[in-house]
Amino acid sequence: MNGWRYLALIVAVAGFSIDVPAAENLTSDQLQFFESKIRPVLIAECYGCHSDEGGNVRGGLRLDTKQFTLLGGSSGPAVVPGEPDESLMLSAIKHDDFVMPPKRKLSDAQIDDFRRWIEMGAPDPRESQVATVQSSITGDDIREARESFWAYRMPQPTSPPSVNDDLWPKTEIDRFILDKLQQSGLSIADDAEPDKIVRRLCFDLVGLPPTPEQVQSFRRQWEIDSDRAIGVFVDRLLESKQFGERWGRHWLDVVRYGESTGSQVNMTFPHAWRYRDFVIDSFNDDKPFDRFIQQQIAGDLIPAKSDEQWTENLIATTFLAIGPKNLNEQNRIQFAADLVDEQIDAVTRVFLGTSVACARCHDHKFDPIPQSDYYAMAGLFSNATTYFGNPPSEYGNFSEVQANRTSSLMVLPVDDPNPFDRQYASVELARLKTELSDKIREQRQSGPQGNANQASRIRLNNEIADLSAKVAVVDGAGRPRSYCMGVQEQSTPSDATFLVRGEIDLPGPKIPRGLPKVLTDSASPIANDSSGRLELARWIGSDQNSLTARVMVNRIWQHMLGRAIVTSTDNFGSTGQSPSHPELLDHLAVRFVESGWSVKDLIREIANSHVYRISSSFNDDNFQVDPDNALVWRANQRRLDAEAIRDAMLSASGQLKFERPRGSEVAKAGYVRVRGGFLGDPREAIQRMVSTAQARSRQPFRFGTRNRDSMMSDVYDRMSNALDMNDATYRSVYLPVVRDELPRSLDVFDFADPSAVIGTREESNTANQSLYMMNNPFVIAQSQAMARRIANAYERPTERIDAAFVLAFGRTPSHHERTAAAKFLSTFSIGAGQPEAFAVFCQSLFATAEFRYLD
Amino acid sequence: MFSRRDALQQLSAGFGYLAFAGISSQASAKDESAVSKNPLAPKEPHFPARAKRVIFLCMQGGPSHVDTFDYKPQLITDHGKRGKYGGQLLKSPWQFRQHGEGGLWISDLFPNVAKQADHLSLIRSMQCDQPVHPGAMTQMHTGTAQFIRPSLGAWTLYGLGTENDSLPGFISLSPPPGTARNYGSSFLPAIYSGTKVGGGAGAARIMQNDSGRSVPDIKNPRLTPAQQRAQLDLIQSLNRDKLGRDDHQPGVEGVIESYELAFRMQDVMPELMDTSGESESTLSMYGIDGGTTDGFGKQCLLARRFVEAGVRFIEVTHGNWDQHVRLSTDHQARAEACDKPIAGLLQDLQQRGLLKETLVIWGGEFGRTPAAQGPDGRNHNNKGYTTWMAGGGVKGGFSYGATDEHGYESVENPCHIHDWHATILHLMGLNHKKLTYQYAGRDFRLTDVHGDVVKDILA
Repeated sequence: MNGWRYLALIVAVAGFSIDVPAAENLTSDQLQFFESKIRPVLIAECYGCHSDEGGNVRGGLRLDTKQFTLLGGSSGPAVVPGEPDESLMLSAIKHDDFVMPPKRKLSDAQIDDFRRWIEMGAPDPRESQVATVQSSITGDDIREARESFWAYRMPQPTSPPSVNDDLWPKTEIDRFILDKLQQSGLSIADDAEPDKIVRRLCFDLVGLPPTPEQVQSFRRQWEIDSDRAIGVFVDRLLESKQFGERWGRHWLDVVRYGESTGSQVNMTFPHAWRYRDFVIDSFNDDKPFDRFIQQQIAGDLIPAKSDEQWTENLIATTFLAIGPKNLNEQNRIQFAADLVDEQIDAVTRVFLGTSVACARCHDHKFDPIPQSDYYAMAGLFSNATTYFGNPPSEYGNFSEVQANRTSSLMVLPVDDPNPFDRQYASVELARLKTELSDKIREQRQSGPQGNANQASRIRLNNEIADLSAKVAVVDGAGRPRSYCMGVQEQSTPSDATFLVRGEIDLPGPKIPRGLPKVLTDSASPIANDSSGRLELARWIGSDQNSLTARVMVNRIWQHMLGRAIVTSTDNFGSTGQSPSHPELLDHLAVRFVESGWSVKDLIREIANSHVYRISSSFNDDNFQVDPDNALVWRANQRRLDAEAIRDAMLSASGQLKFERPRGSEVAKAGYVRVRGGFLGDPREAIQRMVSTAQARSRQPFRFGTRNRDSMMSDVYDRMSNALDMNDATYRSVYLPVVRDELPRSLDVFDFADPSAVIGTREESNTANQSLYMMNNPFVIAQSQAMARRIANAYERPTERIDAAFVLAFGRTPSHHERTAAAKFLSTFSIGAGQPEAFAVFCQSLFATAEFRYLD
Repeated sequence: MFSRRDALQQLSAGFGYLAFAGISSQASAKDESAVSKNPLAPKEPHFPARAKRVIFLCMQGGPSHVDTFDYKPQLITDHGKRGKYGGQLLKSPWQFRQHGEGGLWISDLFPNVAKQADHLSLIRSMQCDQPVHPGAMTQMHTGTAQFIRPSLGAWTLYGLGTENDSLPGFISLSPPPGTARNYGSSFLPAIYSGTKVGGGAGAARIMQNDSGRSVPDIKNPRLTPAQQRAQLDLIQSLNRDKLGRDDHQPGVEGVIESYELAFRMQDVMPELMDTSGESESTLSMYGIDGGTTDGFGKQCLLARRFVEAGVRFIEVTHGNWDQHVRLSTDHQARAEACDKPIAGLLQDLQQRGLLKETLVIWGGEFGRTPAAQGPDGRNHNNKGYTTWMAGGGVKGGFSYGATDEHGYESVENPCHIHDWHATILHLMGLNHKKLTYQYAGRDFRLTDVHGDVVKDILA
């Protein structure tokens, strides 16, 4: 039996024990000495950088409890009782190995006190709880899980089963599918019509509808040789730039791509777009997926041959920096722990479909992952610094009120600044700096409890933060520097401290850096002088674990067929779903590795399979046996995702701009706090807009007039819808993804929550979607553009109707549809006029079920 | 059998099937053909209902029962001792007092709700199977966390229809992102899923007084209603053609129904969302004063307005109660934000004579451990916690079930989430064993094969 699966409740609270030694063992002399000579110095000189209260643990060292002092930091124990020469703390205050405190040396008398204190055994009443690790997940449990649970066994190459129909299978995939269907006594659907297949291929591979020309030529080719028609067409789509925009976006769902921190203090990530573009380019280049993984986990540690390569590798590590963050967190140690936790969670779920972060506070409740595995991984990440904010200026580090946690950025080795960062003339820069230093002086003079009221103090603080942010990103000559988000290794690697129940004030022993035991049978490959993150990247990005390849081929299968083999795409653990086709999953995983981890090859193989082209027609007998269509007896009818719906409207209207916009709306706004759906301070922006409007109207501003109300309402409208980006006509993947403030066009159709790892989006069907299609200004604008486009190209009414159907659905209308459309147009034109009638007709096509569903 | 699909497909002209069927609120509930044509038409309950509508105040994150509605004197006595599963027992930072004629013990976290004690039925022996948030939330809403299943509100709507078919029968006010499954319809027709109102639109937060706009795209900027109806008829005729070509594609059926609903919502929704006509005294009852209670107060006020308008099931979410740390400050802040609004809602419903037929439910996905987590926090506790109900058909000033001396586990009259669901359906006049939906050859129900109605709390 898989006993480890049922550990859940037993493990719950029994994973550790706490041993609190009594402070009474100290003699009163010892206590007296500590209290008079040692504690005051520690508080005055050390706690600022080395205590929980100070919110700082420089070098991983805390000196505010006995246990932490003995445990030491990244360089080793700070104090070895009775051994002054072994105690790093003593050499540090003597300014031998380290220079501590950094700004001034303690007096000789004080240094001597510390020596005496250590000699007497470092008596210390500052007890903290120390835990010993006791896991109820034993080595046997882990071994048994490795042997018995399908996801932990290595994928096995399986030869495709032989089936009693040699004609139907076109690829090996088809044999696996047909075999299962035959075993269950299910029949498989006939092939879909070519119009439907070409529409499927276009949306699946590039996220766009087929153009009328593509529909026509595909149909011609299909009649000659259907296999070849698909083969050629697929190759062409795989080579187009739009492929990466489609598949890159799937990846961005999984890696929780967002351009701001989210939560209460929602600060922008003005450089996140570089990672977005890196992802898109990687899919377009068909970069081997193992390498793609390694870059994202440890790009900063991979040797690079050129500055360009180095730049790409650094940008790739944005993956680790881009998670949601609570900048409001008061406690620096807590923030650091949460940051690492988020990184562990993302890495293990994105690449391995395994949730190691569940073991932060206790042994994993369902999977054989002891809590110590979590801290073994924490050591791999906690040696890196994560960059996600904005650099400090020469005047210091300033941040918005409530943004308690700050961070800098990495400078790229190439000259490629954020396109919206502007260059300042020297006069201008000097003026900014003067303004900044004046304000800083003003702030100092008013003091923390100064006379100024709170509102004006906050305003001053934020003005300083904004100015500092501006000055910081340019060099001395006012030229913008090139930055990216990401991680970089600190100098000396160290292990992470086990935390009882995951709490920062309940430390346990150091846990050696390593990989989750259930996923690897070799001893930890991590050298003493290495953080292990590169080793982790190379191990995940390889066939040395049982999951990476399976997890990715499963994601790809899902996007092609509409339903994954393992439907819990981010959870391959025991609470996840079992694979519907385990042999096929292994077969695809093995092939994926053999192909050199080529995503395009796998997509090509699936697109050329027979099962990909079957129709979605219903069969009641099959439905009774397999209502969820797990065995793929028909094609899944799928609702297009938000991006495809918006891009399809732009494509039909002819307004779609194919060029990639450089940067993003967030890059344009720079490093600001998002408030009320607006990038920046809405009050300031309102003031700006009002004064512009006033200047334009040249009218004296009168309060309480209707004029003012309507103007304000207009201002509000524009502001509150700014992030909807209704005027943008580039592809949806380039719309700003500000956490908690998604553009309506994406939000209404179940866009992936950018704060979570989302392998499978929800697919709702709501009245809100109907309202969007009926009334949204963007939808209306595209309908009008489509109507104009058709009016310019065709004269006769039936031609126009046919053209609209082909643009919207990739097919011509039936006789009945044509009649209904003509009748609608003639009736509607009477009041509204002919152009408006046709625009309303085009909008009707956008609004139909057919437009948003893929058969 | 005359299926919904047939109905949607056959009515091929004019105003669409709903208008054709003669707007459901006027149609006789016993008129079989009208019912089969309009999925939202009111249906007869299985037996006389005690409540006609539900307001579910969903406390996301797991509010601590031992700090709110489950008084544990022994926890005070044993403060600092080792709890039965480890950790040190932590007495509540808040005082408990008895309230109302029933003498219910309620903590000082909810001083205003406490004044409504004689409306409340506390269930202090709740249990669910899931110790983590997403799973427990999903089980609270759907009965299971293993599969995607219809939500409680969707089942209710499926069982009873709704009294106003110009509004969604099931509304979820400002739900957290990524939780659509918790108010979804799963295999039930899409029209029974919860409609999200509010949440996300930055506009509403800037324009605090212009709540009417917080339903985006509620008005067409160009077309007259007649023109838009003509457009909609064309859309629906194309949709019905597609339905005729396809077989068993619930997605298309859902689109057809959601357009009819959306079209009618345009008339009703803006007026309903516009609270500018509410009196000063009403606003202040809900704590709508620009302070900490303002946000949740507005949600509760909207809930009342939806109830008045005949919406069957309204869910309002308030979070985040997940205080592993900073219990004493953050639980205080969460409670402060909702205490007055909830009390105001009960009071307002009572004054308007709505409380007797409106079931108000309060609860989170689980409670919190009696033992401390860190110096000032509590962990998840799914084996014993408290929810309450008020109004439609439940006793007031009443307490049902109990946890052990510290509050870990339900020991007296445990009420599993299945029992809770069975009871809610019962109050709505539905037998949870008979409320079934056939999907893929099997009859499904909200309570699976479980669930007993908690008869003791029925008035």
